[in-house]
Amino acid sequence: MEQFLDGTFNLFGDGQAVLIFALGLIGGMLFGAIPGVNMLTLGAVLLPFTITMQPEHAVMLFSVIYCAGVFGGAITAILFNIPGAPENAPTCFDGYPMTVQGRSGKAIGAAVSCSAIGGVASAVLMMSATGLIASWAVRAFGPQEVFALIFFGLAVSASIGAENLWKGWLSVFAGLIIATVGTDPVGGIPRFNEGAFFGLEFSSYYLSAGIHFIPMILGFFAVSEVLTQAMHISKGTRERPKAGLDFPTIAEFLSVRWTMLRSIVIGFFAGVLPGIGATLAAFLGYSQAHRWSKRRANFGKGELEGVVASETANNAATGAAMIPLLALGLPGGALTAMIMGIFQIHGMEPGPLIFVNSGDLVWITFAAMFWANLFIILLGWVQTKTVVQILRVPFRWLAPGILLLAVIGAYALRNLFIDVWVMFLAGIVGYLLRRSGYSAAGVVLGLILGKLGESAFSKSMQLMDYDFFGFFERPISALLITLGIAAIIISIINEIRGADVQKALMD
Amino acid sequence: MPSTAGAAMPERAPGARRFVGPVVEWAIWIAILAWVFWQTQRFDREIAQYAFGAAGWPRALCIAAALGATGQLIYRIAEIRRGRAGRPESATPEAEVPRPSLWQRAKHLPIFIFPLIYLYVVPSIGFYVATPFFILGLLLILEVRSPLTLLGVTSVIYGLVLLLFTRLFYVALPVGRIEAFYDINNAIIGIARYGM
Repeated sequence: MEQFLDGTFNLFGDGQAVLIFALGLIGGMLFGAIPGVNMLTLGAVLLPFTITMQPEHAVMLFSVIYCAGVFGGAITAILFNIPGAPENAPTCFDGYPMTVQGRSGKAIGAAVSCSAIGGVASAVLMMSATGLIASWAVRAFGPQEVFALIFFGLAVSASIGAENLWKGWLSVFAGLIIATVGTDPVGGIPRFNEGAFFGLEFSSYYLSAGIHFIPMILGFFAVSEVLTQAMHISKGTRERPKAGLDFPTIAEFLSVRWTMLRSIVIGFFAGVLPGIGATLAAFLGYSQAHRWSKRRANFGKGELEGVVASETANNAATGAAMIPLLALGLPGGALTAMIMGIFQIHGMEPGPLIFVNSGDLVWITFAAMFWANLFIILLGWVQTKTVVQILRVPFRWLAPGILLLAVIGAYALRNLFIDVWVMFLAGIVGYLLRRSGYSAAGVVLGLILGKLGESAFSKSMQLMDYDFFGFFERPISALLITLGIAAIIISIINEIRGADVQKALMD
Repeated sequence: MPSTAGAAMPERAPGARRFVGPVVEWAIWIAILAWVFWQTQRFDREIAQYAFGAAGWPRALCIAAALGATGQLIYRIAEIRRGRAGRPESATPEAEVPRPSLWQRAKHLPIFIFPLIYLYVVPSIGFYVATPFFILGLLLILEVRSPLTLLGVTSVIYGLVLLLFTRLFYVALPVGRIEAFYDINNAIIGIARYGM
């Protein structure tokens, strides 16, 4: 507590630190909310300037950008069905339907509050148990556990957004197969970089880098949404969403308290694991909320609990992601890798000794993350009252802007125009998937976790001498694999039972 | 059960037709997966330290997906046999659903084709030249007809894109391969950044 107060005084007692804190907060929220750019763009732009900054200011700036950026992406996810970052994708499932129903204010209000709650809880846990959690997680989580966690995550999330369980699984498998394009993770052998279709040979150098999930997400969510709305306009069946400014009530918040708590736990533990991070946290948080909710049938149709689950979990992962970085020098994602870069620029080495040698840096960072999450409520409230007004603009006027943002976002990723083609084709596929009951979210989840899953599986197989039962010899992987298998069996039973219930109702 | 053989006869034809959809869907999945599986032969090489090789994982996924597709087929056939309507929208009798005419369907094509044309021309003529025409064309497809609105919306969106991505964030966007357009694109970038 004393160290936290010292960190807070160091932060707010220094004008320069306050300015950097404010810039990071506003910049992160803005960059997170604009689909063409994201917090990584801002981080990449600012990284060279950190050379001249004090190391504690530089690390603090990036950690604030991280917290604010993860929240910022929820705004466009809710208003336009365009997730600002992959971790905001599950927010679209219920956030956007709420906007269509004129409840955008409630959705953004829930996202603001829950992001702040998840982030603050994560920051508190991070401050109290960094060393302990980091050493446990890294010792306990080998490739077997990572594969088991991904298997569990896919098993419980497979049916999200799909018409039935089978279509959900097929969507996930489609994503996993797309993720194999590129090179194999063990031998670096090119895969699907060339092929033949009806005797027509094709090859692409671009494909050796694989298909990136950002253009796919933009296509599945933003482009397919524009296509869907354009069809409604063409048929004269489009209903204009109403701009709602109401915040969720206290009673509504209290009704989702267990969902929030569950998402905090899920988000925190997913965030601690390097490479897993906020995206799986958000999907897991959402799928578990769907599993345990009394209003399960409303999920995907504008259920506040869905927004709460996803946004709490992804922000709960932010503080947790700092734990392996600071305590062990293991960055879990792109932005934490940039923070690692700042340490290197300033000739510092993160690890257990950083708490002894650079206590000021650690505690100003912890304090900044704590306060950044609290300030998100204030700024998010202002944002809710202002950004929602965009909905008053006719969609016909907004559609070209949304498509252009998606085009720029896909292109700016790697400066490859073929990414824009991938995005648009994903948009058309996403449009068809929606019409046929498959899940765009499932494809995206498979695509994001596919490479990581294959890599963990191949390492596990090598370590276990190709014995599949080796997964059951380690307690955590055994538990996760068993829970995953149980989730699959239960969902099949539920699917069959659901069909029987429906049949009985129809009779 | 209330149905009799005689009563069921006239309904058999549309009922049988309802099996066609799931079977076609299954066939499409199997065809795609078979093609993907066949393509894995091209990189089916051994890796010294990994027994499953480069093709093992994609092949396993193809088999699992084929099982999933077959599971779905069985599930949907079972649903139809039990007399369940299936998806809510397909529950509506076919006769009651107004089928769009060929002309009505053709009217929807530009929204799919026009962005593809834009993507095709941008690498040649550049983002900055192609974009105003893209915005204008898309507005026309979305049935905006007022000249003032067309001009105003195009100017605002194009202006915001230039301001945000070119002036503030310095995002590098395609400037075209054709020399004349390359010069025009760079001139627009210059004006946006430096007001020249």
